[in-house]
Amino acid sequence: MKEKSLKDYAEDIYTCNRSRCGFCREQCPVYHVMAYETYSCRGKILVGRGLIEGTLSPSREMAQILDHCLLCGLCQARCALHNLDIVTSMRREMVLGGVPTPVHRENVQRILTEGRLLDARAAPEREGQTPLYVGCVYRTKPRELATALSVLERLDIHPLIADETCCGYIVEATGFAKEFEAVQEQFKKTYQQLNAPEILTLCPTCTITLKEKYGLPVKHAIVVVAEQLHKKQGIVKPLGFRATYHDPCHLGRMLGVFEEPREILRYLGIQLVEMENNRYFSTCCGGGGGVNAVDPGLSIEIAKNRVRDAIRLGVEIITTVCPTCEPTLLRGAGRVSNEIDTFIDVRSLWELLDDALVD
Amino acid sequence: MNQKKITEKAYGQLRKILRDRVTLSAIHRMAYSRDWSPRYREMNDLPDIVVIPRDTQEMVRITKVAYRHEIPLVPFAGGTGMGGGAVAWKGGILVETKGLNGILEIDEENMTATVQAGITIEVLNSELARHRLWLPHQPESKRACTIGASIGCDNDSTFGLRYGKILDCLLNAVIVTGRAEAIRVGQRKASFSSTGYKLLDLLVASEGTLGTITEATLRIVPLPEVREVRGYVCRRLNDTARGLERLLGCGLAIESAHANCRNRLHFYTHSYREKYGREPQLPEWADAILFLSFSGDRDIVAFNVDKATRIMIDEFKAEPIGEQELVEGWWDSKHRLEFIPFKQKWPVSQRQKKFGAADLGLPIGRLEEGYHRYLEIAKKWDQEILGMTIYNESPNKATASISFAVFVDDSSQEAVRKFYRYVREMSEMAIELDGTMSTYIGDGDRLGGFNRLEHGPGLTYMRRIKRIFDPKNIMNPRKKFQSRWIDSD
Repeated sequence: MKEKSLKDYAEDIYTCNRSRCGFCREQCPVYHVMAYETYSCRGKILVGRGLIEGTLSPSREMAQILDHCLLCGLCQARCALHNLDIVTSMRREMVLGGVPTPVHRENVQRILTEGRLLDARAAPEREGQTPLYVGCVYRTKPRELATALSVLERLDIHPLIADETCCGYIVEATGFAKEFEAVQEQFKKTYQQLNAPEILTLCPTCTITLKEKYGLPVKHAIVVVAEQLHKKQGIVKPLGFRATYHDPCHLGRMLGVFEEPREILRYLGIQLVEMENNRYFSTCCGGGGGVNAVDPGLSIEIAKNRVRDAIRLGVEIITTVCPTCEPTLLRGAGRVSNEIDTFIDVRSLWELLDDALVD
Repeated sequence: MNQKKITEKAYGQLRKILRDRVTLSAIHRMAYSRDWSPRYREMNDLPDIVVIPRDTQEMVRITKVAYRHEIPLVPFAGGTGMGGGAVAWKGGILVETKGLNGILEIDEENMTATVQAGITIEVLNSELARHRLWLPHQPESKRACTIGASIGCDNDSTFGLRYGKILDCLLNAVIVTGRAEAIRVGQRKASFSSTGYKLLDLLVASEGTLGTITEATLRIVPLPEVREVRGYVCRRLNDTARGLERLLGCGLAIESAHANCRNRLHFYTHSYREKYGREPQLPEWADAILFLSFSGDRDIVAFNVDKATRIMIDEFKAEPIGEQELVEGWWDSKHRLEFIPFKQKWPVSQRQKKFGAADLGLPIGRLEEGYHRYLEIAKKWDQEILGMTIYNESPNKATASISFAVFVDDSSQEAVRKFYRYVREMSEMAIELDGTMSTYIGDGDRLGGFNRLEHGPGLTYMRRIKRIFDPKNIMNPRKKFQSRWIDSD
């Protein structure tokens, strides 16, 4: 499907200019750190107007501003416009305008030539019945991947892991539309489970990409875990501590998976305490949209802000179920502990399941 | 020295003060080129420089630079003002005030909060709620609106009927004047004072034309135990005011009171329509709907609700809205600002045309007359009716701060100018009916100069006051005294 040009979003852009409500701005994690209106969605959309009217042109400066967007979608949840599509479209304008961000271009090249974003350290093989798409990030984390696979298998979910290439989210998200088409072709040639009735995933970002850009019948594995736990009795030992759950943007806000992780936590005997911004209005960990590649300092500051939300609750840990959120929040937690001498641990929901499941 | 060189020189000096919190970038300046006032597409008011101060001292130093070079200074807060007050009409230095966003003190013993003026009302109340307290000044724009903007614009407040508007909560404030002097005005933590002149009052509705407000001390109150909201369908518009007067007169404690005409109800029930997939149903005989909120201890609230309902039915032949979901949907739009994710009201309602309003104040006996004139004047200037809301914003008495709203066609210059002709004629009507031409938007770039119709020779004294605070006219120049839209005859 051909991507829309920025001009195709003119109605949304002018509607935003008419509305000016600012609902997007006040919770934008990037705006909170960067302070210029330009970093909020409302501000970016005004810049987008400049682009479509010709009063502004693509530039490295504009590309850098657009790079500082997590594509977390909080603005969109507070709105009714296609904010993420608009920002992505503006990023495409930067690429077409000959000012792409070098590190993003390098990542795109790598995906095109090697089929992956990161160096894989895990090459799992499983020949079960249920196709499982692992994704680039989990392939760099053998221990975490092994934990997730162990949990699935103990719950009678037997994965089938086939050859796979990168879903290409970061290619599309950073504005490389033409290259994304090539990545999609590459994916379809490699992944042999395209006709499966259901494909499980581990990474929320891969899940939303495979669902929306490839039209595949995907389901995040944590949903299936929740279903399995419902059917089984006495298979966990209660963990008994207080925790808060961070909703990953792609899993929660975009895919609507909120309750299953929470049900699991309660099933594990964890006392769940909610952060003020949760579910649809959860604030990003700081790891999204390619921001960490261009400004790791910003990513950390955003993570710290999210960690502070959790520290306010007096809980022992933050848990989440995203391979990007976990390390990002953990980095943030480490930095916050340097400042206020309070360390809050960040643990994956897979780890907690692994601890709790009785063999 | 030409203007470009002056700007560059000023920028160089500001860089020494602010480092990366100052920019000349056209991209950043574009993001600050609009507020919520109706304007046609080609109209962008780009400032020359954007600065982000973090405290009063930085604001003093910024103002000194502006003063030295005689460059305009335009404070910008939420960017949701409807009057053009925050746009850089004459270019200059736009001050992003939201860098001044700290809470300096919460004094529970004296029930005050001292804040930097760039904090939003919602963030402040989020923090105050941890102490079971709140600031009851609550405009619909509270997510974006700051304390400084509330003071500068004197905007509306949902709970004005009990708590008044911002001046009723404001104890003192720090303003950096156009002379680059920071002064604290007001009465410290006391509620009022009879000594000196009331400089604090001058700041309210000053729209950044006297200086930049950097701090404020506010009277805060305990969070109520419960709140109930009710709606009453009334036969006549005047019944809403008379009914309210009666309810207050008999001793009831009512927290808020708003009256909508039928058209306006549609605008406020977006969340109801999204949730339930149907339009609100009203009897054919109903001209207006009165919404009341009651808060306090549970038994007191229950008594108030019951008594108010009986009076409205028995004495005003009103009918309570039986479908509480409708009332809650209205309240979602008015106060809670809770919408189904991805279906928020504001962008949904303005895809084709823009919200615009004449924000008049009328004596409570002239409401129906005002309403009928609104319909005529809107028709005369081809304005599509959005509807009327009456806000009651003065403690314990029925008053009428009215939004006479229309959908503005902003597709052409001529269409937007027609809107402002509508505003002009509505303003003239307000004066004719012994009212005021603005109660919550302010003069901005629309009523300045034309407001002589309301103030007469008083406007001359206002200009003199302006010169005392801002001798070089750098503070948001032209606002309040000139209009881009309405010629003063």
